[in-house]
Amino acid sequence: VTSSVQSILAILLFFCGTAVLIVQSRRWITGLLAIQYLGVFGLVSSSWPIGIAVVKLVAGWMAGAVLLITYENISDNDLGTGITTGLSGVFFKGFSSVLIGVTVYSLVPLSLRWFIYASFQQALGGLWLLGLGLLQLAFSKESIRVIIGLLTILSGFEILYATLEASVLMTGLLAVLTVGVAFVGAYLLMASNLERT
Amino acid sequence: MSTPIIWLLLPLLLSLVGLFFTRRRLLLKWSGTSISLLLGLSAVIIPINQKFNFLLWELNISDQLLIFGRRFILSPSDQPAVILIFLSGFIWFLILDPEHVPVQCVPLGLTSLVLILTTYSVEPLFYGAIFFAFLALVSVVLLTPPGSTPTPGVLRFLIFQILGMLFILFAAWLASWIDINAGNQYLLQSSMLLLGLGFAFLLAIFPFMSWLAMIGEKNHSFLVAFVYSNYFFGIILFGIRFILEGGWLSPDVNIQLPLQATGLLMLGTGGILAVFTRHLGRLTGVIAMGYIGRMLLSISLFLNGFPILFAVVIIHILALGLWSLSLSILRELSGELSYQKIEGGWWQWPLVTSGIVLGYYCLAGLPPLAGFPIYWALGSGLSGISFSLALVYAAASSGYIIGGLRLISVLAKNSGEEFVLLPGRPFYRYVILVLMLGLILLGIFPGFLLEITESISTVLVSF
Repeated sequence: VTSSVQSILAILLFFCGTAVLIVQSRRWITGLLAIQYLGVFGLVSSSWPIGIAVVKLVAGWMAGAVLLITYENISDNDLGTGITTGLSGVFFKGFSSVLIGVTVYSLVPLSLRWFIYASFQQALGGLWLLGLGLLQLAFSKESIRVIIGLLTILSGFEILYATLEASVLMTGLLAVLTVGVAFVGAYLLMASNLERT
Repeated sequence: MSTPIIWLLLPLLLSLVGLFFTRRRLLLKWSGTSISLLLGLSAVIIPINQKFNFLLWELNISDQLLIFGRRFILSPSDQPAVILIFLSGFIWFLILDPEHVPVQCVPLGLTSLVLILTTYSVEPLFYGAIFFAFLALVSVVLLTPPGSTPTPGVLRFLIFQILGMLFILFAAWLASWIDINAGNQYLLQSSMLLLGLGFAFLLAIFPFMSWLAMIGEKNHSFLVAFVYSNYFFGIILFGIRFILEGGWLSPDVNIQLPLQATGLLMLGTGGILAVFTRHLGRLTGVIAMGYIGRMLLSISLFLNGFPILFAVVIIHILALGLWSLSLSILRELSGELSYQKIEGGWWQWPLVTSGIVLGYYCLAGLPPLAGFPIYWALGSGLSGISFSLALVYAAASSGYIIGGLRLISVLAKNSGEEFVLLPGRPFYRYVILVLMLGLILLGIFPGFLLEITESISTVLVSF
């Protein structure tokens, strides 16, 4: 993957992460998550063979699919789709994302002392996702938003960690963790509707 | 055949099967109890890496399993840990009352125990961090039984555990560079900082401890106590391996001081909160803070502290079991566990409330209960390092005793009720009585417990 493509992917990740934070429809959020995993796959494939990097894409899309199927199986009332974020809320979240974006951009050269095998764009993309995921966690009380935030953080970490370690078992375990987080998110959405035992 | 197959894969498979039998409460409870007991006993009797005859076959059970080039090892030196973990499961499942506790606790609890053992057995060591993330996922499901909504405390717990895992994975990678760049102080300090942060997230060290009380208040008391008891022990076992086997901690780095400072901080914070808490569920979280603090202080004594550490763990399994069993019965009776709701409870439900008070005071370290001699030994060990350290330890612990006095004053208040009830089924009333008696006897004859824990730590360290 060339340097310019990597730059496009990193910017795509920033916009996806910001949109996930702002958008209210959960179906849209899941769609954005799927696009986000495309970007993750692109940046990881710069460090790993395509055959192994595709595991990230498959695991991410599986996680998205699990969440999407759960939305389809429970009523909108249970989902609580109406997170009432007014224009000011959207502006505030967008402004916070921009702040994260600028801060991370300025810190990337410093971070390259630690992520020694990472390119500038990989470090940028990974750290942007970590920052935006943390922002998502800080702004959210709902279980599904927390799960989306965790998935965002994990995907950011995976970009950075892929530049350091290329173990098959670790790749598999992180993929299982991604899908596991999504399954737990699905369970938490449905738990109140399940029969007590 | 290998030990990871017997102690990891087999129970994992059985717990998955158990998830299909959640309607058969008693079957699930007793099968979980007996499986845990059998696995614990198997760790006592199975010879590892030696030929032996079993019925018509000659067997040789190896101590490792290879998966994708990574090893899972449970060698003879790990047998005490295996015994302790499965016997802990046995005690928890034995005292579980399926009428009051969601029975998913059995299969998911067994999975939790297996994951703790997996983190302990995996090579390279830092892979254990990712199994802790799996353990956190299982614990979230365990703490949110069907029919309930996820509480903010549970979500925060999940967030902190995942963040802790990420920090540990990155610190471990950074630490591998220390070997290559020997003497690079910047790398060493960075990895130590990240590792410390990772364990602070996992162990709910100040200031990442808010979820302890939040979960205690809103979630089922028995499930909370089960998770706290096993989860923190698992992390401490993992941490001990990091310290003993990591091989990357520089001899120049003094980890004793941070361990003692953190331990005292946790104990002191817990002590202060115990005085001001007005909810029995939140008090479970406060007890967990003391548990974490005492375990860290025990580790800070290194080899001398290991027998105390295992004694603290065993006492907490028994006393937390008594506390949570009594609490789950009381919750059914009073509807809520705030001090306001349980005022005068001693006159109405004497057995259950006695279980609560005795369990609490055992954990607080009041003589002649089982906690006292162990905590005394811990204090003596600390005074060997510095007398002022032991004084701070005593002051930090005193909050728990004062908190207990407040609890007694609430329970003993005259509520005007004149009837006396013995709630719960007879078996669980006897369990409460037996646990109370056991904790008193262990307090009077602590030598028995210390002998066992001495031999556990000798085996663990000797290999």
